Amino acid sequence: MAAQSDSLRRARPLLGTFVEIDVAGAARDAMETAVEAAFRAIAQVHRLMSFHDPASDVSRLNREASTRAVTVDDWTFQVLATTGDLHRRSNGLFDVSIAPALQRLGLLPGQTDDRRRAPEETPMADGIELLARNRIRFKRPDIKIDLGGIAKGFAVDRAVDVLRRCGMSHGIVNAGGDLAAFGSTPASIHLRDPRDPGRILCQVAVKDEALASTSGSFDPVRSSQAADCAIIDPRSRQPARQLAGATVRAPSCMIADALTKLVMIDPPSAASLLAQARASALIVSADGEVNASREWERARAA
Amino acid sequence: MSDWIKWTAPAAAAVSITSAAHAVQYLSIPEAQKLAFPSASSFAEIQPGRVWKAQAGGRVVGLFVFDRVIGKHLYIDYAVALDPSGRILRIDILQYRESYGGEIRGPSWLAQFKGKTRGSSLEFNKDIRNISGATLSSMHITEGVKRVLAAYGSAIR
Repeated sequence: MAAQSDSLRRARPLLGTFVEIDVAGAARDAMETAVEAAFRAIAQVHRLMSFHDPASDVSRLNREASTRAVTVDDWTFQVLATTGDLHRRSNGLFDVSIAPALQRLGLLPGQTDDRRRAPEETPMADGIELLARNRIRFKRPDIKIDLGGIAKGFAVDRAVDVLRRCGMSHGIVNAGGDLAAFGSTPASIHLRDPRDPGRILCQVAVKDEALASTSGSFDPVRSSQAADCAIIDPRSRQPARQLAGATVRAPSCMIADALTKLVMIDPPSAASLLAQARASALIVSADGEVNASREWERARAA
Repeated sequence: MSDWIKWTAPAAAAVSITSAAHAVQYLSIPEAQKLAFPSASSFAEIQPGRVWKAQAGGRVVGLFVFDRVIGKHLYIDYAVALDPSGRILRIDILQYRESYGGEIRGPSWLAQFKGKTRGSSLEFNKDIRNISGATLSSMHITEGVKRVLAAYGSAIR
């Protein structure tokens, strides 16, 4: 079956979602090998950056980095360099330490009846020090990080690198909606309507770029409704509720993934960050209004 | 919000595409078996349609377990390959079907797949190859894999 096809499509459960890899234009064995290697790269990101796996870099940092410098993998270091940069550019709105902090304080919704008793300040410096030779130190004892808002995009980028290095001329890597496509023909991507994930909002053509979407996470095994979104606005220490969902297109999936969070938290200030990153976005507000950044509309017109 | 402009759906999209219902067939059971155990010369069915022992020259090289998740709007076939000591070698999604506007568990919904191996039903939008949107949870697969491990994860005798 399907032995005649010159394309290959595989899916695995990784990063808490379904990761799908689609390649075309090479011999079957070569495609199979490339896809296998790309899945290995994603599994490696999963191992390094899982918040729950006690052996991950993230868990090691959360246990030890406030008492001593901890050496991490190149990839973890790269991601933390990006999160630090985004933290500065966004004046603290992008904060990989906010969700664990709130969890520990029992301040995430549904866990306490007194959400007001948060710590006094949200520090502007993210408190994560990047040292020579891939070492990381936390400047305060209470810092815990969760890279859930960026690792998936980074994993997609690594998988795309692997596919390209294996000589694939076309490919798409889609990690539960955070995706990147490369090749000579654009890939057509359908966007779910965040207000009703069973429906399609529109279609976009993606070529040599990435697309990431955020809204409440969604499990069609249980329901057609999306859950409350898990992005915390560091200013209110509440889930970002202004938007039902956002989709960002950007040169890399890591940046697209991270920018969806900033767009969800504060659309007005995110507009300039999008421009700096050569990115664009489509946003759906909680009341159903759909807006696009100017670049998004330009890309559509092109 | 002056940097944001009001967006309206292209007319064509609104007419032609409304439902996210889609289906993908990734691998058949024999294809998945071959990928998981390239060295195997035979697969002995030890539980009909569910568990196979992968063998290479009379030696057991692992276990192949087929499982299925059926939810309200989602239907997934997947396979777990275990090595002889019961460790996971790989997990592959074999088939993915997502549908709305009716319960997937309904007999009529399921009936359309009887005897079919490839997704070609009218119920599905064939234009949809890639979707971005709300992140899909794969928690049910994780739970399924735990059950598979509990049942078959001990070393193969």
